[in-house]
Amino acid sequence: MVFRPGYLGLLATLPLLSAPALSPVGAKAAELKSYDSSKPSFWQHPPPDWFLGDETEAQKGLAPPSGPALPTPPDELQADLKRIKLPPGFRIEVYASGLPEARQMAWGKDGTLYVGSFNATNVYAVKDVGGKREVKTILKGLNMPTGVAYLDGALYVVAIDKLLRYDNPEANLDHMPAPVVVYDDMPHYVAHGWKYLVVDKNGWMYIPFGPPFNIGIPPTSVSQIRHVDPKTGLAEIVALGVRNSVGGDIDPRTGDYWFTENARDWISDDLPSDKLNHITRLGQHFGYPYCHQGDLPDPKFARGHKCSEFTPPVLKLGAHVAPLGMKFYTGSQFPAQYKDNIFIAEHGSWNRHKYQGGRIERVIVDPSGKSARQEVFASGWITGDRDYFGRPDDILQAPDGSLLVSDDWAGAIYRISYKK
Amino acid sequence: MIIPCLVLAMLTLLPFAGARAAAGDVNAGREKARLCAPCHGQNGISSRPGIPSLAGQRDQFLQWQLVFFRSGRRPNPVMVPILAKLSDRDIRDLGAYFASLPPNTQPAATRPDEALRARGQAIVAQHHCANCHTDSFRGERAAASLANQRQDYLVKALTDYRSAARPSVGVAAMTEAASGLSDDDIAAIATYLAMLGPAGR
Repeated sequence: MVFRPGYLGLLATLPLLSAPALSPVGAKAAELKSYDSSKPSFWQHPPPDWFLGDETEAQKGLAPPSGPALPTPPDELQADLKRIKLPPGFRIEVYASGLPEARQMAWGKDGTLYVGSFNATNVYAVKDVGGKREVKTILKGLNMPTGVAYLDGALYVVAIDKLLRYDNPEANLDHMPAPVVVYDDMPHYVAHGWKYLVVDKNGWMYIPFGPPFNIGIPPTSVSQIRHVDPKTGLAEIVALGVRNSVGGDIDPRTGDYWFTENARDWISDDLPSDKLNHITRLGQHFGYPYCHQGDLPDPKFARGHKCSEFTPPVLKLGAHVAPLGMKFYTGSQFPAQYKDNIFIAEHGSWNRHKYQGGRIERVIVDPSGKSARQEVFASGWITGDRDYFGRPDDILQAPDGSLLVSDDWAGAIYRISYKK
Repeated sequence: MIIPCLVLAMLTLLPFAGARAAAGDVNAGREKARLCAPCHGQNGISSRPGIPSLAGQRDQFLQWQLVFFRSGRRPNPVMVPILAKLSDRDIRDLGAYFASLPPNTQPAATRPDEALRARGQAIVAQHHCANCHTDSFRGERAAASLANQRQDYLVKALTDYRSAARPSVGVAAMTEAASGLSDDDIAAIATYLAMLGPAGR
């Protein structure tokens, strides 16, 4: 039986305390966690309890689930996909398998699909050879290369604290060239340091910077989204007060950047909600760590702030659904009412008593962010109360208008297509 | 307070419904594990310093370690060459086999240093180790079983995590958890875990 350190300390000193020391003010100060982020040691070694530490006794044992060590074999994937529910007319199939911890996807030249990974350290290339997909591990040993993008004939990979460029990759898949570091003004801790890349029409990239803990007063270089020019290394901060964002896209109607955000942990199974956000003004503050889901002041860190000071989300997506990669749908394969809808890959819960998420959501919303509504598009990856056979984490539209979905649990990519 | 905790601990240990088709084959794993016995012991219980017991270790944890050895990400001059050619099927079978063996439940036989053991217990509580490794420290999913593991091996494992000489699964939890430990802390933790009694205390 493990007590939280603060609780253990309180128990140990209880008989010695005089009554005034137990006043609410004293108790509050003792509960408030503080990290000293003023020293380099903080960046070298984020607090070991960055993803725990705030849990209650009732939440004990809810630890991050690790996926299988091996990618799910193709025959088993086919069987698993029979359990996925989709609207009428849609079907899901295995597009590629054998990509451990597959994360963000990006199209390169000649139908080459690039795929990042989480802790597998790899980047993959998938090619269609006569209707079969061949998977090649083209890069190894990178530090959480979750984000990939393709621009002007080069593959970009973001690996925690470096944005790397690989020139002319299609001609060098068997022996990739040494990368050019195009931007590295990034903290090198791993916690919430895994990233996602979104390229805009001017060739700049939106890159999220998550805080190295669940909740706290973030150091100045994080809890923000930057807009980076990979040609020059210039960067600007476009959003503040953002917790862990690992997905976003540009609205084809306006050019605005929209992004998903994972809310803080350990308040409860149903609070706070994860978010879909929309940047309408440079430097908007989205509330973290003071206010969550647009209307819930943080019990410890609100510190007098009101939620009305911050930009609310376009949509509350639900607690512990873990929205990651997202895309606006611009294709013509799906029925017309899907045009400009947002598809969001929800990775699913890790510390909710009954998992939710682990599905693909459809969001219908106008360009201003008004009158947003959501519905479940694809579901069924959760088994029982707390297990998965797959966890969707990114979405990419294929040239024919079908959707690709990456799954870092099963190490696979699926294709969802529509036929009347 | 104790009873709800026990209930919760038991709930989290319930087997998950619907075993996967790709689960390993214990009998095939027994055949393939013959090569392992000289070092890891006939029944998966090691009597060799610095070499871990594998009996009753968690299937998923074992598979992750085999994947790490196969790719060379967990460097080891003995293990990497032996395991470089393993197939995914081999890894599943070996994981299933060692997980099926009864674990060592004998506390380490050395005379307990009570102060060191108590210090280890406090550090383990402070670092929330039971959150992943469970209250019994018999592990779950990819979190290793630690109870009654060889003390010298626990020291080696924690030292290797601390220096990032071996990779951690998922969100790098072990690399981070071990990063702030001193040599004395590691000795204390290893003493506590190696000497755990059957009830996990």
